[in-house]
Amino acid sequence: MEAVWADIPLEHFLVLSGMLFCIGVYGVLSRRNAILVLMSVELMLNAVSINMVAFAVYTAPTLFIGIIFTVFIIAIAAAEVGLALGVVLRVFRNRGTANVDEVSALKW
Amino acid sequence: MTEGLNFDYTVFIPEFLLLGLAAAIVALDLAYPAIRKQWLAYIAGCGLLATAGVSLAWIDVETNFADLVVVDNYLTYFRVFFMVIAAVVAFASADLVAQRLKHPGEYYGLIIVSTVGAIGMAGARELMTAYLSLELLSFSLYILVSYAKFDRRSNEAGMKYILLGAFSSAMFLYGMSLIYGITGTTYYSGIAAALGERATDFEWALLMGLVLMIAGIGFKIAAVPFHMWTPDAYEGAPVAVTAYLATTSKAAGFAFVLPLFSNAFQVVHDDWSWMLAGMAAATMILGNVVALQQRNIKRLMAYSSIGQVGYLLMGVAALSHASASALVLHLTGYMVSNLALFVVIIAWVHMNDSEEIADFRGMRERAPLLAGVLAGALFSLAGLPLFAGFVTKFILFQAATDDGYLWLAAIGVTTSVISLYYYLQVMREAFVSAPAEGAGPLPVPLLMRGLAVAMMLGVFYVGLYPQQLFDAIDNATRFLFV
Repeated sequence: MEAVWADIPLEHFLVLSGMLFCIGVYGVLSRRNAILVLMSVELMLNAVSINMVAFAVYTAPTLFIGIIFTVFIIAIAAAEVGLALGVVLRVFRNRGTANVDEVSALKW
Repeated sequence: MTEGLNFDYTVFIPEFLLLGLAAAIVALDLAYPAIRKQWLAYIAGCGLLATAGVSLAWIDVETNFADLVVVDNYLTYFRVFFMVIAAVVAFASADLVAQRLKHPGEYYGLIIVSTVGAIGMAGARELMTAYLSLELLSFSLYILVSYAKFDRRSNEAGMKYILLGAFSSAMFLYGMSLIYGITGTTYYSGIAAALGERATDFEWALLMGLVLMIAGIGFKIAAVPFHMWTPDAYEGAPVAVTAYLATTSKAAGFAFVLPLFSNAFQVVHDDWSWMLAGMAAATMILGNVVALQQRNIKRLMAYSSIGQVGYLLMGVAALSHASASALVLHLTGYMVSNLALFVVIIAWVHMNDSEEIADFRGMRERAPLLAGVLAGALFSLAGLPLFAGFVTKFILFQAATDDGYLWLAAIGVTTSVISLYYYLQVMREAFVSAPAEGAGPLPVPLLMRGLAVAMMLGVFYVGLYPQQLFDAIDNATRFLFV
């Protein structure tokens, strides 16, 4: 176990999480469907989790701050998706579409 | 690990009381569906005020809970502040909620729970605690904004608010994870200590972390360029929720930002102050200029609140003890004026069933008291003397100038003049335009009249006798700069 960690530098995890985060941001900005936007936000949150766990393991293996944080992030993300899906469902029922750009009674 | 930490749960008594109150109101609504729904509002409001009284017991107490939450005058000030705001909103929404919305029990329950979140943001001295409090507030607001379940505009506002809110939380969290990676801790004091002795090759990560965290916070307080959700959420939400959005959610953002930046990031002040200064300038200009062409009162208030965020951000960019006190003072004055205005808007929009500014016409004849309070609140928001807005803005601009942000103060003064124009347009409709044909005097409920007058007295109190309040605030923000 020790040897495996020693072979993989921290940077690999950070690059992975950075890529996931950027994919998530791109998804939020480019997707039209609200559900897909939500999925992209999930990708961003997962990137955060990877970051947190990697930092926790590599920089302070005896303190579990980052890992505890990840548990909270997972719980909050689940709550957030539940809430958002409820509202998106409502929009879909009332308008027959969940596309962000077609839902535009309010204009700026 | 846990030695030496203070696990004294009694410091959370006000929050426990609030949660109990929220549960009691939901249970009451469930158990006695026949109860007059206005009573739920009265119970919520009185309970909040009583809890605000209880939290006064912590004046000049200095303690903490496991270093996660610090109880000092700063927290006590914001406890009272948020509870009073929530109480006013609860009272003001009594008729509106009873007649237009379903599930009033949950409505007041959510307002109280979100107040707990806002208080947590002010008291947190650790990122995880702060983040959980922030989400407690945000989630309650997401539900409240989309509360009118069958109203398409409310749905839409809720959807936009949730999607952008979730996006901003994710950015905030990523910034937080980078800061955690650099410093190895999530405690504000630990972050400050680690940043104080950091190696230089962490510069980029620090900058990215700060940018992402500021972007996330910018979304929550609606600063340009992260303000896109604001007008839509304000317009689509039920008008009482708009009042709540414009007050608590905004104030909570600043109550959170002040300890975060003063306790954790003050050592790297140069790395972030320029971002906030730029955001403040852009926010002041864009908010006030775009407000000029609004026709809907809620949208106007949204852009006006964006402009006000610009003024407040000035205090964060300068960040010294003096500017923090000035910021909290302006926040207080702004909230009082805003509540006075929103009490009038809630009463008027509810009775007239129109949110267009043009339909404010004839308010002077139809509801003279409301018109008077409207005028006072608008003058205060624009920053005319005698009213709260003038003194608090003056002190804030002065503090920013003292800390070297003369150019920001200049933009602030200029945009204040611009803001006078759109505030006066509302006044013109209310005072100059004649009422519509056959529109008689409006029977404004006694409660709304009382609230409007109380808030107006508050505006005059802050405007004419700011010293007392300023001393109290100064005594509270002192704890952030030790």
